[in-house]
This record gives sequence, structure tokens and C-alpha cells, in this order.
Amino acid sequence: MSEERRSVSISGSGSLGGGEYTRVSISGSGRVNGDLTAEELKISGSGKVAGRAEVGKIVVSGSGSFADGLAAEEMRVSGSAKVEGTVDAKELKCSGSFRAGGDVTAEYAKISGSLRVRGDVEADIFKASGGFEIEGLLSADKVEINLGGRCSAREIGGEQLRVERGTSLGGAIFEGIVKMLTGGGTAELRTAQIEGDDIHLESTIADVVRGKRVVIGPGCQIGTVEYTETLKVHEDAEVGEEKRT
Amino acid sequence: MDDERLISKKEVLELMGISYGQLYRWKRKGLIPESWFVRRSTYTGQETFFPRDKILERITRIKEMKDDHPLDDLAELITTRVNAQLRVALKKLERVGWLDDELLRTCSPDEVPDEAVSIWQAFLLGTLSRLRKTAREEEIDLVQRTLKPQQELGLLERVSENGVQLYLMRKRIASGGISAQISLVALTERDAVFDPEIEVVETVDLGTILQRIKLDLARDGDAAEAESPTESTSGANEEEQ
Repeated sequence: MSEERRSVSISGSGSLGGGEYTRVSISGSGRVNGDLTAEELKISGSGKVAGRAEVGKIVVSGSGSFADGLAAEEMRVSGSAKVEGTVDAKELKCSGSFRAGGDVTAEYAKISGSLRVRGDVEADIFKASGGFEIEGLLSADKVEINLGGRCSAREIGGEQLRVERGTSLGGAIFEGIVKMLTGGGTAELRTAQIEGDDIHLESTIADVVRGKRVVIGPGCQIGTVEYTETLKVHEDAEVGEEKRT
Repeated sequence: MDDERLISKKEVLELMGISYGQLYRWKRKGLIPESWFVRRSTYTGQETFFPRDKILERITRIKEMKDDHPLDDLAELITTRVNAQLRVALKKLERVGWLDDELLRTCSPDEVPDEAVSIWQAFLLGTLSRLRKTAREEEIDLVQRTLKPQQELGLLERVSENGVQLYLMRKRIASGGISAQISLVALTERDAVFDPEIEVVETVDLGTILQRIKLDLARDGDAAEAESPTESTSGANEEEQ
């Protein structure tokens, strides 16, 4: 019964059964009919895993879809990936579009492009440039958001939280791409609540911001800021109430 | 949970001297169960509250242990994701001082293999040790028979998530010149009320037992690894050779 692990490559159009593989490569259009365990999965073109994927390294250039969650050491997406269920990746890098139906957990997550998550996003380091919509909590030791479109999360919490207006590398071209992907819209972050130790915000609309050292930069509209050590408010920001606690 | 005293997140941070970053990190690592985060609307908007005693105790533990253990290990040790597979040397268990030695040896010898016992077995022993002074032998047996089938039903998870109380009770029944006493055992996730004729012999907070076992074993684990041939006592002088 002991099946030897195999490597499979689909080029053109085809499908394979679920199971254990060393390497699976799909160029063209392919489908894995069931749960997939592999060291590596490469999708260039269009690929679908109909079950759950547990893979060392996933590379999607083109479009990948996962029907029942995935776990990976490393996941790189350039193009688009859609996951029904939870995503658990040590390192998650996505330029393009990423959608997850459940929670997303990563040690390091870097998203440039668009991200849409129905659950929570938890990471040690979370970097985003572009736009995102997180329906749950965004929590990371370090959150760096470079606003390149509409960004929203129900709540944000962590240690160092930095939100900046997108002006960094890639510049105009990048912003153009992002706008295309995210459907345009103003570059701003909307959330009910932000809690952290060091908080630096720009163009952020929030009901409550709580932190130790807080900087409210230009373009912010904050209902209440509660801080314990320092607070700086930019002249182009609106803060309803400031409370030192 | 309604009758539990709650404490706001802000107060927790202040009281324990920790930061938002730490709290969120610990939550992410599964050190603080999601179910303890109670969201309430206040006049300033949403605020998060916690069951006071539980969160203060948990954070005290985390602070005590975090310098000696990687956070990812702590989760296994302290909390919620009970690792039923975790096996511990029986020897280690013996060093956990508050476990009843005799019980360890005699309680269920067939189920305590020499080398290793599971966290479940340690938990069972811990609970029985607590009862040993007050309970009669047949009551110990009754407790055992009550707990055992619960293992498969996820008792450990429930204990660490919500806390479970074990009650050992007695009730005297007298009628027509005959008097008898019966023993009862109950497990509840919330406070229970019993009829006035029931005498509660012992209430055991299973959560405390489970946590103590994990923590003691964790601490002891370090000691055991550092153990030198000369099983030195505390405060032994370090000799440079």
C-alpha cells in the first residue's frame, strides 16, 4: 500500500487525484480532486485544489483557488488566489489579489495589492500596501500599512502600528495597478478601534484609538483618543476627544 | 459568565504592567482563550472585558514563565489547546510535590506505565489527590468512574476553556428506621445549586488542577534537563573545574 511520492506536472489541461506528492506543477489549467499534501505546488495559469492543501511552498502566478483551506511554510502569489477556509502560512507574500474565507495566520505577511479576508488576520509582522478589507481583527506585533486604496478592518491591535499614505516605492504605476485591482476609491483606513503601544496614523477614520504613544497624522478623523504617555495631533486631523489615562 | 466579575482591558494592562502589544501577542499565541474576550458597549464605544480572576491569574503565570520558555511552547503548557498527547515521565510527576505519592503508585497501576503518563492521567491523579483526604475509598472510585468516560468527550478542553467544577456530595436518607448515606459526584461548568439536604464534601476546581500540573511539569522540565549527576540541592555552589 505504501505509495511512493510522485511529482506531477500538468501542462495544458488536466486533473489529478488528491494525495501525497513531492511536486505538483500546473501550467495551463489543472485541478487536484481532493486533499493535497506536497512539498511544492506551482500554479502558473489556473489551478484549483478541490480539498485542503498542506504544502511546503506554494507559488501561484496566475490564478489559484483552494476549496478547503491551506497550510504552507511559504506562499507566494502574484496574480490572484482565493481560499475557502483558513490560511496558515509562515510566510505569505502576495502581489495581486488574495481572498480568504476564514482566518489568515502568518508569521510574516506582506500584501501589495488587494486583500480580502472574512475572518481575522494574525501575524507577527503584517505589511500591506494597496487596499484590504478584513472583516475581523487585524493583529500583529508590527503592522505597517501603506495606504494605496480603501482599507478596512473591524479592529486593529498590536505593538507597533503604522499607517501611512501610500507614497512609497513603485509610486504612480503601482498605485494605478492597485486602483485597478481594488476598484479605486480613496486611500484611507476605516476601523472601529485601534489599540497598540506605538501608534502612528495617517488618513485613518476610527471610533477609538488607544495607545501609549500616539501620533495622529494628517487626514485622520478619530472619535476618541486614549493615551497613556504621549499624543501628537496633526493640524489636519480631527479628534473628537483626547483622554490621558 | 454573567455573574463573574469582569475587568476592563485597560485595567488589566495597568494592574499587570503589560502593554497592548503583549496582550495581543499572547492572544495570538493562544495563551489567552478567545472566549475570555467579552465585548461590551460603553459610552466611549466598544470595550473589551475579561473574567477578572481568570485573566489576572493567567497573566501572572505567563509573566512568570515567559522568560524561561518560548511563547509557542507556553501555549502548549498553559492553556487551552490541551495537548493530550503530551507525555511526561512518571518520575517528573513524582517530583510535583502536591501529588499524592501513594496514589501515584497504587491508584491504577495498570494505567500508569513506568516511563510515561499522559497529561490526562496526571490530571486524573491530581484530582484524586485533592480528594484523598476527605473522600472515602469508594468515593474516590466513583470520581474516577465519573471522570474517565469524559476524557473522550473532551473534558480537558472544556476544563481549560471554561473551567469545570467537580462536586463530591453526600446525602443521608432516613425512613422507617433505616438510614443510609449515598455519595454523589457532579461535574458542572457553572455554579451549581444543590438541595439543602445534600452535604458538599469537597469542591474541586478542575481548571486549577490542570493548570498546576502543566505549570509544575513545565518548571520541573527545566530542572530535570539541567539535572547533573550530583542531584544537587537548591542553592548548591557552582564549582568550577
